[in-house]
Amino acid sequence: MKFTQEATACKRSMTRRRLLLLPGICPLMREALAAPTHEPQNLSFPLQAIEGAITPLDLFFVRDHFNEPELSVSAWKLKIDGRVARPAELSLADLLESPTKNLEAVLECAGNTAGGSAVSNAVWEGVPLAYLLRQAGVEPGATMVLLEGADSGRLMQDSPSSPYCRLVPIGKCLQPESLIALKLNDRFLPRRNGFPARALFPGWYAMDSVKWLQRITILRSDDPASGLQASGMNKLYNQIVETAPGNRAVTRLTGILVKSAIAWPPDNWKLPAGGHEIRGFAWTGAGLVNEVQFSSDGGAAWTPAKLELAPKPFRWVRWSCLWRASPGEHVLMSRASDDAGNSQLLKRQVGRKDGYELNFCAPVRCSVQ
Amino acid sequence: MKLFAILLLLGSILAAAECAPSSLGEKETLAKFQELDRRAQSAFERGNYAAAAQQYGEAACLVPRSARAFYGLGIAQAAAGRFPAARKALESAYAILPDNVMPLAMLARVEVAMKDINRLKEVLRLAAQRFPNDAELHSGLARFLAESHFLDLALAESLRFEQTGASDTASAVALAVLENGVGAYEDAIRNAQAVVEQSGVPNAVKASAAGVTGLSYESIGDREQAIKNLTLAIDLAPMQENSYLALAYLYEKGQRFKEAVAILERGRKQMPESVHFLLPLGSNLVWAEQYQAAVDVLNELLRKTPDAWEAYVRLAEAYRNTGRPNLETDTLRKLAQAKPDYPMVQILTARAMLTMYPVDYPAVMLTLAAAEKSAPNDADTFYLRGKAYTATGHAQEAVAAFQRAIELRPMDPSPYYQLGLTYRKLGQAELARQTLSRMEHVKQAANAPRAGQD
Repeated sequence: MKFTQEATACKRSMTRRRLLLLPGICPLMREALAAPTHEPQNLSFPLQAIEGAITPLDLFFVRDHFNEPELSVSAWKLKIDGRVARPAELSLADLLESPTKNLEAVLECAGNTAGGSAVSNAVWEGVPLAYLLRQAGVEPGATMVLLEGADSGRLMQDSPSSPYCRLVPIGKCLQPESLIALKLNDRFLPRRNGFPARALFPGWYAMDSVKWLQRITILRSDDPASGLQASGMNKLYNQIVETAPGNRAVTRLTGILVKSAIAWPPDNWKLPAGGHEIRGFAWTGAGLVNEVQFSSDGGAAWTPAKLELAPKPFRWVRWSCLWRASPGEHVLMSRASDDAGNSQLLKRQVGRKDGYELNFCAPVRCSVQ
Repeated sequence: MKLFAILLLLGSILAAAECAPSSLGEKETLAKFQELDRRAQSAFERGNYAAAAQQYGEAACLVPRSARAFYGLGIAQAAAGRFPAARKALESAYAILPDNVMPLAMLARVEVAMKDINRLKEVLRLAAQRFPNDAELHSGLARFLAESHFLDLALAESLRFEQTGASDTASAVALAVLENGVGAYEDAIRNAQAVVEQSGVPNAVKASAAGVTGLSYESIGDREQAIKNLTLAIDLAPMQENSYLALAYLYEKGQRFKEAVAILERGRKQMPESVHFLLPLGSNLVWAEQYQAAVDVLNELLRKTPDAWEAYVRLAEAYRNTGRPNLETDTLRKLAQAKPDYPMVQILTARAMLTMYPVDYPAVMLTLAAAEKSAPNDADTFYLRGKAYTATGHAQEAVAAFQRAIELRPMDPSPYYQLGLTYRKLGQAELARQTLSRMEHVKQAANAPRAGQD
C-alpha cells in the first residue's frame, strides 16, 4: 500500500515551551503527527512541506519490510561476530559512550519513483562502523559484512521466516561516512526509523541502511550467508537489464544515482499567470551535484536553476528557479548533473526490468490561467 | 583504551618529572608527607584550593607512588578551576591505584568541566570496563551527567546502573525520564509504572513516576491513559506544578480548553504565588472564549513578569475579541517597544490600528515601514499597506502594494480580491474582472485535493 500523508507542523512559541519544563514534553509535541503502529509502514510526505534543507523528523520517509519491532533499551544488544578476533555484544550504553560522528546525508529508497518523495535529508549522529570493526579486530581476508535487523518475516510464501538482512562489502563499511546511527536531527531515532540503532551508508540506497540493527557478522567471500539466501533477500534490490532477448544482467544496487525532484508546485497544480518560484531538491551518491536545470515545456528547453547552498558530499541541495508562467498547460521538469559526469535521463533506461533507480526526469503537470 | 594507558603512564612520568629530588630518609619522608597531607586537607576545608594543591603537589613529589596525594592534588586543582592539572593528577592517581573507583569518578567530573566529550566517553568506558557492577559509581555518574545536561551519557550510566541489578526508586524514575526523553516509551512506562505500584515509596517520587508514565502514554498515542496518570500525579503530589502544566498542555493539544482552564485553576489554588500557571491559563481562557477572565489573568502576569512576550499577543487577542481595538493596539505597541524583534509584531500592530476608529493612517504607514524594514518580503505588510492606501484614496499606490503582496504570496486569495476592488474604483473594469477571476482560480486551487507524489 502506498499513500502520502499530509502533515502540518506544530508551531508553538518559545516562551510557551520554556514553561513546560517536564522532560519529554518536546518529544510529545513532535510525535503527535504519526499514530504509533507496529504494522509495516510505507510513508512519504510531500517535499513541499520541507522548509530549508533538512527534512524534519516527522516528515522523514519510512519503508518497512516487516512489522516494526518494539525494542527495549535495557535489553537491546548489538552482536558483532564472524571473522573477528574479539566478538562482542554491545549495549546501548556501550554505543552511547563510543566516539560518534555527525554528518548530513540524504537517504533514498531504491524504489522511489521519479519525482517521488521517498527521499529525505537529515543530520545523522552515530558511531563510525569502522571504529566498531577495528575494536572487534576484523580478520584478514574478510570481504563482506552481513547486517541483520530485529524485524523479521517471510519475503515469499515459500521462504522461511527470517530477519531482514543485507550484505555490504567491507570496503563500504570501513568508509568514514558509514555509521551505526543513533540519532536523526539531534534526536534519538524514532522507532519507525530504526530505534535504537540502524546502519547508515551515505551515498547508497536506503535498503542497506538496516534498521533496528541487532547483529553484524563479518564474512569472507567463501563464507555462506545462508539466512540471506534461504529467505530470498539476496534477490531483492538488484538492477536487472535485458541485454538481449532472454538475456538478463543482474547486478547489486549500491550508489544513489543523480536525481532531482520538483517540490513546488505539486503535480496537477493550478497557478495564476505571473512569476512563480519553482523549488526542489537534487542529490547524488557520486560526488557533488554541480547543476540543476529547469524546463517548463516537457524538456524541450532548459534554463539553469539556482543552487541555494554549496553542494557537499552525501547531502541534497535545494534549488529554485523563477518561472514567468503564461496561461496554458505546462509540463515542468528538473534535471540534475553531478561532477562525476552523470546526468538524469529524460526517460527510463531501455531494457531495465526492475523497479529501482527511477532517476529519470519526472513530469509535473501544471495548469496556468 | 591503549591511548588511555599511554596517557596514564605519561601523566605519571610528567608528574614525577616536575619534582625536585629529595634527600630525606624514610621516616622523615613519612613524617613530612603526613604533615603536608594534614596542611593540604586543612587548606582545602578552608576553601584555599590553590594552597591545598600546592601542599598535595609537594606530597606527591615526596611520595610519587601515593595515590592519595595525586587524588588530593586532582581534587584541589579541580576545585581551583585548574582542570588540565586536575586531569593530570587524577590520571596519575588512577595509574597508581587502578582498583579504586574514586580517581575515575572524579576524572569524569573534570572532563565534564573541560567539556571534552571524547575524553569523557573514554573515562566512562574505562569505568564500565573496570567496575561493571559498581551500582553506586554508575548511579552517581548518571545523576551527575543528567545535572550537567549530558543526557545521552546519563542514560548510558543509568542503563549500566540497571545492569548491576541494584534497585533504587529514584534511579528508576531517573531512568524512566531519560527513556521517555529518547523515545523508549514502553521502557519508560514499564520502569515508571513499577515505581508507582511499589509500596513504601514516598508520594512525591510516585508522582514523578506517574508523570513520566503519563507523558510516555501520550507519546504512544494513548491520551486517556496519559490524562489518567497525570491526574494521579497531581493527586499524589498536589504541590508539583509541572504535573498541572503537563496535563493542561494535553487538554490544550486536544482542544479541550475548558478542561485545561479547570486544571490550571486547580493548580493556581494550590500555588497562588506561582507565575508559571498564568500564561497557559490566560491562553486557554482566550481559546475557551472567556475573554474577560483572560484579560485579568494576562494583565496579572504582565504586572509580575513584563517580559512574558507571548502574553501581550494573547492579551491583544482577548481585547480584539471583545471589540476593544484601542487596548489591542496599545498592548501590541507595548510589546513592539519592549521587544522590537518579536516576530510580526509591527504587522500585528498595524492590523490592530486599522480596526480603530478613527484610523490614524500616517501612524499605520509608519508602523508598516518598520515592519518592512524588519521583514522586507512579508506579504502581509504590502497587503495592509494596500488597504491603507485604498482607504485614503491612493488607488494607484494601493494597486502596486497589492501586486507586491500577490507576488510574495501568489496562493493567497485576499490580495486578489482587494486588487480587483481597487481596479473597479479606478474604472478599470476588465482588469478588475480578470483579477477577481484569478482570485476564484486561486481559491479553487487552494482547496483542490493534493496529488500524492509517490
